[in-house]
Amino acid sequence: MSDVAQTISEQTRSLFGSDYGQASADASQIALHHKRKAEYDNVQELPKALAEKQAQAAASRGPKRPKVPNGGTNMALVKANGDAKTQTNGTTAGTPTSLVRRPNMQQPKPEWHAPWKLMRVISGHLGWVRTLAIDPDNQYFVSGAGDRTIKIWDLATGHLRLTLTGHISTVRGLAVSPRHPYLFSCGEDKKVKCWDLEANKVIRDYHGHLSGVYTLSLHPTLDVLVTGGRDGVSRVWDMRTRANVHVLSGHKQTVTDVKCQEADPQVISASLDKTVRLWDLAAGKTMGVLTHHKKGVRALALHPKEFTFASASTQTIKQWKCPEGALMQNFDGHNSVINTLAVNEDNVLFSGGDDGTMSFWDWKTGHRFQSLDSIAQPGSLDAEAGIMCSSFDQTGLRLITGEADKTIKIWGPDSKATPETHPLEWKPTLSRVKF
Amino acid sequence: MASALFASLPKPKYTGEHEEAPLHAQPKGPRIVGPGVIDESQIVLKRSGPPPYGQRSGWRPRNPEDFGDGGAFPEIPVAQYPLDMGRKGKSSSSNALTLQVDAEGKVKYDAIARQGHNDSRIIHSNFKDLIPLRQRAEAGDLSLDRPSQDEVAASTEKTKQALEKLVSGAVAAQKPKNVKGRNREEPTYVRYTPANQMGDTSKKNDRIFKIMPKQQDPMEPPKFKHKKIPRGPPSPPPPVMHSPPRKLTAEDQEAWKIPPAISNWKNPKGYTVPLDKRLAADGRGLQDVTINDKFAQFAEALFTADRHAREEVNMRAKMQQKLAEKEKLAKEEHLREMARQAREERAAATASRPRRDSGSRRRSRSKSYSDSYSSRSDTDYDSADERAHERALARKERREEDQRQYRQSKMGTERRMQALAREQNRDISEKVALGLAKPTAASETMYDSRLFNQTSGFDSGFNEDQHYDKPLFAAQDAISSIYRPKASAGMDDDEEGGADGTLEKIQKGNRFDALGKSNFKGADLVGEREEGPVQFEKDKDDPFGIDSLIGEAKKNQSENSKKKYGLERAEDREDESRKRRRIQDDD
Repeated sequence: MSDVAQTISEQTRSLFGSDYGQASADASQIALHHKRKAEYDNVQELPKALAEKQAQAAASRGPKRPKVPNGGTNMALVKANGDAKTQTNGTTAGTPTSLVRRPNMQQPKPEWHAPWKLMRVISGHLGWVRTLAIDPDNQYFVSGAGDRTIKIWDLATGHLRLTLTGHISTVRGLAVSPRHPYLFSCGEDKKVKCWDLEANKVIRDYHGHLSGVYTLSLHPTLDVLVTGGRDGVSRVWDMRTRANVHVLSGHKQTVTDVKCQEADPQVISASLDKTVRLWDLAAGKTMGVLTHHKKGVRALALHPKEFTFASASTQTIKQWKCPEGALMQNFDGHNSVINTLAVNEDNVLFSGGDDGTMSFWDWKTGHRFQSLDSIAQPGSLDAEAGIMCSSFDQTGLRLITGEADKTIKIWGPDSKATPETHPLEWKPTLSRVKF
Repeated sequence: MASALFASLPKPKYTGEHEEAPLHAQPKGPRIVGPGVIDESQIVLKRSGPPPYGQRSGWRPRNPEDFGDGGAFPEIPVAQYPLDMGRKGKSSSSNALTLQVDAEGKVKYDAIARQGHNDSRIIHSNFKDLIPLRQRAEAGDLSLDRPSQDEVAASTEKTKQALEKLVSGAVAAQKPKNVKGRNREEPTYVRYTPANQMGDTSKKNDRIFKIMPKQQDPMEPPKFKHKKIPRGPPSPPPPVMHSPPRKLTAEDQEAWKIPPAISNWKNPKGYTVPLDKRLAADGRGLQDVTINDKFAQFAEALFTADRHAREEVNMRAKMQQKLAEKEKLAKEEHLREMARQAREERAAATASRPRRDSGSRRRSRSKSYSDSYSSRSDTDYDSADERAHERALARKERREEDQRQYRQSKMGTERRMQALAREQNRDISEKVALGLAKPTAASETMYDSRLFNQTSGFDSGFNEDQHYDKPLFAAQDAISSIYRPKASAGMDDDEEGGADGTLEKIQKGNRFDALGKSNFKGADLVGEREEGPVQFEKDKDDPFGIDSLIGEAKKNQSENSKKKYGLERAEDREDESRKRRRIQDDD
């Protein structure tokens, strides 16, 4: 039916259309004008009362503020409206859109790093490997585990050299002294021990912690040892006399990590109370508290060359500038509980998650150039894929991780990789990057 | 309304109006009156601030109003607290801070966070501190170098000294040096010559004083009590530089709901759950086992197939057996036929040539027949019957033997093993005769000792269910005990070692020297056996000399009359005779 009707109407138009003519643009304009005049003529002007009110309001508003030219400008441009200096930037104040990007708005391009891959798996511990320490001469490394033993391994071959027993609970912290033949260890049994590596014996015990000791750090220039633990305090021990020099109290929960460096702040501690504290070692007082983290902070890492450090809590890693503790940048993207951090001299930051995820970051720009999952050794549960501790060796070319599947894994950069084979996957964001 | 309410209430008993302050405390300055007083008296002079100069004698500024807008009056020697500053007791009620302004005239709001901290304290209080340095527009170049050697050395030195002081203090405190009264100082002696006094010129003697400290009681309780200084007000907490935590969504709450562990062994009150309930909760009996109907069909089908297969196999085996028997019968028939033919031929031959060589043939069978040539012909049929009977017997015997062997070969390995096992260890008569197998002398009951001590021992758990897999009398034990001399023999008492000595003597000594030779002839060829029963070995060379016979026959064909030397055995002789006979036959 409709087809028939359409054909009829078409035929009619073809027959008589020339007589009537098409509705032109002019015609529609005229029609609109007519309609406006006919229907809205009576409301063309405001009523008198209203018009008066409006005039008054306009007068009382006073001089108008300079209007912000809308679109594509930012606060800096507004401020510099009368300033001649900004004119040199190449953008004129009046133009709303600038084609040239301002130099300080450019994002720095991250450095290229070779991707890391698994080199060796050492399975020798009978419990979670909770802590690692590297020999200052890069000959061996030391691991402490939930099987209450400390094992010393050859770094080159991966062979077991020595097993030290003495702790009666999980070993949580280890440090090899670069200036003494000593190895320091601490554990969940509240004990801090000093081992003589020439006799392989415990020669000192540092007694004082009220609960498990979770972390340990040696001062690089002083004969001082800092430990922190579940009792929420960090203790500074004199190495020789075993005296408890300072009790650095201030954290409200477990101290999870402690790092020492040679210049102030000489001690940095991270805690599960979501804060990082910088300590004045001479006075034994807090220098500053960094409260930027939203979850408990589990790991710290000092950069070997820069005067910066990084702290990690669940899903966030933050980098700080050192003497004043200013936030430098965030490392976004590692969505898990981060257990450990490690930095090497080539500006590679490693973060290991509790669920076995690993991320490698560029220290300067915060770009994640690699993320992978650690593979649990066969026979372990899904829940046992987790990275507990990590450390770069002295050269920075080997990464050693201790994992919850009771293995120690050694990772190395892929020597065959080049920027051509593994191009940098990085795109500058279009959104605003500077504030 | 309010006034009506107050009017309705009774008048207060104590208003404080009529109390008089002590004289010295009464304000000497202008009297301050309330608005109501104005109505009562017209003479009112309300003034604030100090009285003018010249009228201030005896006036003391007490109240904040007395100071006007100014400070204290230095000419009035009285403690003054303008703006209540420094007044004890009252001032602590307010902890408000004074307003501080920075160089640009902006209010320093972080003063509240810095309260009680020193200047070097790092406090993040700006919004700027939330923005990372790398993203700050006006950050400029950041210097990230580690501090120089000098700075490090300086800070190290400073820290070292501070720590050393602390360590030495701590170490000193550990040493028990502070106990009173332990060491007494040496007394000092002072010579004292009194001077002339008051014109007294008399001679004075020198006196010597001994001065020593008074002895302290080491057990004396401390005279002063240490009073702990109360803690100062806490310094304010650091400003929190992160957003408040998000509220838990219902989803998150659901995800975090972890059900409590349910024990099968203990109920929530801690009592042990009874076994039947535990098993019921286990869920093992809850689902009843249903077997598919097709299982029955399947089993049936399998069974029938199995039976069919067995029947077929049986049939085939029977058929094969029958065929084999038939073949065998046919072969026997054929042989018999052949034998009959041969016999008939021979009979025909003998009939044609009656007495030619039969004697030599019979001789080997029976001497009597061969001896009497004359009676041979009439006894021929008798002996033939007898021989036939003998042959039949032998044949029957052999057939039985064959049948048994055939049955055994058809038995299958399992049955055969059983049969062999049945044969083994059945005959213990020998052992009984040797006194090894004795019935147990126990008065009560007899037990098979193999049933004992099976679960505990070296090989327990290996073959527990089969107690009879080992021989009842361990053969090795028996052997080693049988062929050994006993110590109780009595005759070797004079020798040392007893049984061992005897054994050694037997083994080492040459017992057969008396026979003239050290060994038997040919004994060295056989390996000497140290122990165990006599073992027989299969004779390799043919006992009946078949091979030699064939060889000799070949030789004899060439040279007929050859003499034999050496020892001749009976068989050889017989062979010889048989051979001769054959030769005769050939003739």
